[in-house]
Amino acid sequence: MNIALFVAVPLGLAFVSILHKKLAPILLVVASLFILVALSFTEYGITIIGGFDAPYGIVLLLDPYRLLGLYIVNILFFIVIMLNLKTYQKMSTILLVSLAGLNGLLMTGDLFNLFVFLEISGISAYLITSTNKNPLASFQYLVAGTLGSSLYLFGLILLYAMFGTLNIGDLATQIGVLDNKSVVLLPFLLMFLGFGVEVKLLPLNSWVKGILSSANTLSGPMIASVYAAAMSLVFGRILNDLFVFEGRFQLIVSFILLLSILAGEAMAYQSTKIKEILLYSSVAQAGLVILLFVSGLASWSLFMVMANAISKMILFMVIAEAAKDGKDDLSSLKGLFVKNKTIGLSFTFASLSVIGLPLFMGFVVKMNALEFLFAEQLYLAITAILLASVVEGIYFIRMLLELWSSSEHSFTFPAKMQYILIVLALVLVFFGLTIEPIEALKDGIESTLHGGALWLV
Amino acid sequence: MASIELLILLTLALAVLSFLLYKWSPRFSSAITILGSFLVFASILYQGYIGSFDVGVTYLPYVSFQASALSTFFAVIITFTYAMVSLFNPYFLKEDRGGNLHNLLFLATLAFVLGVLFTNHFMTMFFFFEAVVWTSLFMIPLKGSKQAAVMYYGFSAFGSFALLAAIFLLRANSGTFLIEESLALVGGSNQVAILALLVVAGMAKLGAFPFHLWLPEVLGKAPDHTSALFSGGLEKLGAFIVVFALVRLAPFGPTFAAIDLAWTKYLVAILGALTIVFGTLMAIRQDDAKKLLAYSSMSNGGYMLVAFSLMNSISLMGGLYHVLAHALASVAAFLAIAAVARQTNTTKMSELGGMIHKMPITYMVYLIAIISMAGIPPMGGFISKWLIFQAVINKGLIFVSVAVFFGSVGSFLYVFRPLAALFLGQELPHFKKTIKEAPIFMLVAMVILSALNIVTGVMPTPILRIINKVIVELGMNEVVLTTYTIEGFNGLLNPGLIALVFMFGVFVAFLIFISLKKSKKVGLMDTYTAGNFIYTEELMHYSVDFYAPLERLYEKYINIAKNVYASIDQKIKEFGRLIKYFVFSYKPEITAFWLVLLLLIFLWGDLL
Repeated sequence: MNIALFVAVPLGLAFVSILHKKLAPILLVVASLFILVALSFTEYGITIIGGFDAPYGIVLLLDPYRLLGLYIVNILFFIVIMLNLKTYQKMSTILLVSLAGLNGLLMTGDLFNLFVFLEISGISAYLITSTNKNPLASFQYLVAGTLGSSLYLFGLILLYAMFGTLNIGDLATQIGVLDNKSVVLLPFLLMFLGFGVEVKLLPLNSWVKGILSSANTLSGPMIASVYAAAMSLVFGRILNDLFVFEGRFQLIVSFILLLSILAGEAMAYQSTKIKEILLYSSVAQAGLVILLFVSGLASWSLFMVMANAISKMILFMVIAEAAKDGKDDLSSLKGLFVKNKTIGLSFTFASLSVIGLPLFMGFVVKMNALEFLFAEQLYLAITAILLASVVEGIYFIRMLLELWSSSEHSFTFPAKMQYILIVLALVLVFFGLTIEPIEALKDGIESTLHGGALWLV
Repeated sequence: MASIELLILLTLALAVLSFLLYKWSPRFSSAITILGSFLVFASILYQGYIGSFDVGVTYLPYVSFQASALSTFFAVIITFTYAMVSLFNPYFLKEDRGGNLHNLLFLATLAFVLGVLFTNHFMTMFFFFEAVVWTSLFMIPLKGSKQAAVMYYGFSAFGSFALLAAIFLLRANSGTFLIEESLALVGGSNQVAILALLVVAGMAKLGAFPFHLWLPEVLGKAPDHTSALFSGGLEKLGAFIVVFALVRLAPFGPTFAAIDLAWTKYLVAILGALTIVFGTLMAIRQDDAKKLLAYSSMSNGGYMLVAFSLMNSISLMGGLYHVLAHALASVAAFLAIAAVARQTNTTKMSELGGMIHKMPITYMVYLIAIISMAGIPPMGGFISKWLIFQAVINKGLIFVSVAVFFGSVGSFLYVFRPLAALFLGQELPHFKKTIKEAPIFMLVAMVILSALNIVTGVMPTPILRIINKVIVELGMNEVVLTTYTIEGFNGLLNPGLIALVFMFGVFVAFLIFISLKKSKKVGLMDTYTAGNFIYTEELMHYSVDFYAPLERLYEKYINIAKNVYASIDQKIKEFGRLIKYFVFSYKPEITAFWLVLLLLIFLWGDLL
């Protein structure tokens, strides 16, 4: 099956949906389902668009890393739309476009094409957040996102001027043989900062608070889980394949990442509103993921993205649903889970996985990441991560104890949500109990990660 | 008998079973916890007795076990603690709202403790260690105190992550996660870090200074009988880790020639000494009997630290015996207090009095326990303290020995206070009708513990022989023992003889007591002071401002540690607020500002 369909089908259906507004939700489900089914019929390889061979034309790529990324993003996307279809019917067209953009982002092998998909998915993200009824925050998101992608564009133009190619594989080869690597640091810096806005690294993430603290069941999981996963995966892949870290650049990048981790946890620690706790905590996790990518551990970072995406989906979905009336203080949601045991269990599993409790996926991932960092002797990063983990654990425990404490709270969750979320939570448990599937996936991913075996024909 | 793997699985299965059956019958569910605990204890004891453990693994993935004399020793103590505390389970379900959860976690922690003790792989150990933290964590808030649970998590997580870092460093150092191999191969520049991290992990679990803050909170606010579990059982895991760090790691670093001790170990000994002193001073101040015992646990943890850091057979034997003696004594004391609390719903000494009239057996149990805690013959605590004193003095550690003796003298001051306040004195009017002696199962547990407290003091040599095996396994010489005596640095100790002398003394005192005139019973309000009739007899209570003059000496300084942690908490929050203030606002230009600023920093001169 041609992988270009993963972009073409949702994009095409988006146009159809403008003409037939009533069909839009159905088309959205059809497109999403189609991709889920089609994913299992695809093969690894390169698809050339427009008849120009790489490196001259645009290519779409599929390798184990991207395929797993596609699975994660599409499955989570499907879950989000299934839970929100009725409430947010009007967003269907936009969601179709964003689906096309996200899939394109994950598959493209061309830097400029990546920018286009970044814009497509970005614009749909701004529109999705408009359902928050917080236009100022959406506007801020728009400004920040546009700034970010412009910087990215600036960087890629510089690269194009230097090397005359936009194909990532071609660029990587040319940069690899470069004697003085410092000439590429400026474009990389611009691209790093540009993407830093999207993956919410401090201090470039001022949009996050406005967006996620007023998030609903559509925008919350969409931005915090689906978009975060896609952006980190794409960014991580470029970091892994293309970027060169040297000297001062490396120093400042590490500083930004460690700041994200430490300050993210500290900000979550001082918050008393659950959405804020979760959003700051996801800033810290984004920092950790990118730190792992930068250190060269792409495979485990991928799994960390996956674990985080699943956890954040559950956490944001639950809280967005429970705090529909806008009250998400710890005290006003006290005892929320006493009558909603299934939801409570999923929420608890998700948070425990984020903290890295044994038996959950987060533990497996964190342990392997730490083992790698120890082998690389990155003691500063390790200390920061471990101390941040202590803080993280404390505020999660505090939150869980509050939510489970036996005071009355009359809110009940829709049945559909309960079933879907508990299944997601059990996925976290499954990958926490058995390492074999992850190990098997990891070997496949690592074999195609370095040297970019699939970049060029 | 069952293999260790089977024991763990069986215990976990029983845990789930007791959880599920709770709705049907709380009593039956508790009976399962008793059955499970005794089964595990009996199995461990039996296998330890015949000296061969079944360490085969068939079901659990990535897990392998080994049995050493050290792990067996700790396992017997901790499982015994569980068995004794389990007898209290049926009686504490009304108070604990989540009785089903309690029973589940009770057995689950037991299973995971076995995992920690018997694994031969550091990662597995960390896994079980974390599992113990997480399961025990949720037992704490069952009486309503969430804050204590959060605190417990904070310190435990700090300890766990220290352990994790140590494990990874060990692995980097030796290339293996296997406990024996990696500990044997430690060397290079990381060895001090490994030692420090392992000690921190152990100290956090043990509740030693400066990681002691959780101990009084948790032991004071956990469900009453669970406190005994923490003090006698889970805390001892810290001692287990400390042994790894201090005894099994080869000594290294510069040595103080005068005392023949590496500076790292001397530092630990000093921390142990401080733990003893601070624990003692804080215990003296407490009004809550459980908090008092918690601080006493802290100070006893200090003895273990001191003992394990001195690196000779006598001190090691003293330390290990202290683990046993303190477990027995503190479990007995906590259970006695729990028995009282069950009747009266309070553990505050100033609200209690005269319990001896209705609960004489509980009184005796508590009395024996505190005699042991204070290190007075003929109880187990005396033997271990005697050994530790010998070792400390022989090494010539002046400050440490002052602390050790101070701790012992101080424990006289505080352990007798609950005795006087809670059990002796006048019976308070509002308790007169409602109080009964504890139910039979609770009495059984307490009496067994008391008997063992005495046995360990009168006939310690059989147990010391077992400890000798542990000492040899840890690579040191045996301590010379005969049937009745222990050979220390400055002579022989004959505990049996001491016990006889003690008994004779008691007998003489008894003769005097019966030959003298009977004391006259007076009513509670029949009190006069300086000719005035007293209306507020509570203020005249034994325990209100019991040691006021002594407390005044240091009452200004008691909150230093607490304030340090409070300010760390504040600093983290402030840091979070600061970043939040500078980054997160509804102004889109903020992002632009930071982008430009970062670019400027990067592009300044030729920094790139």
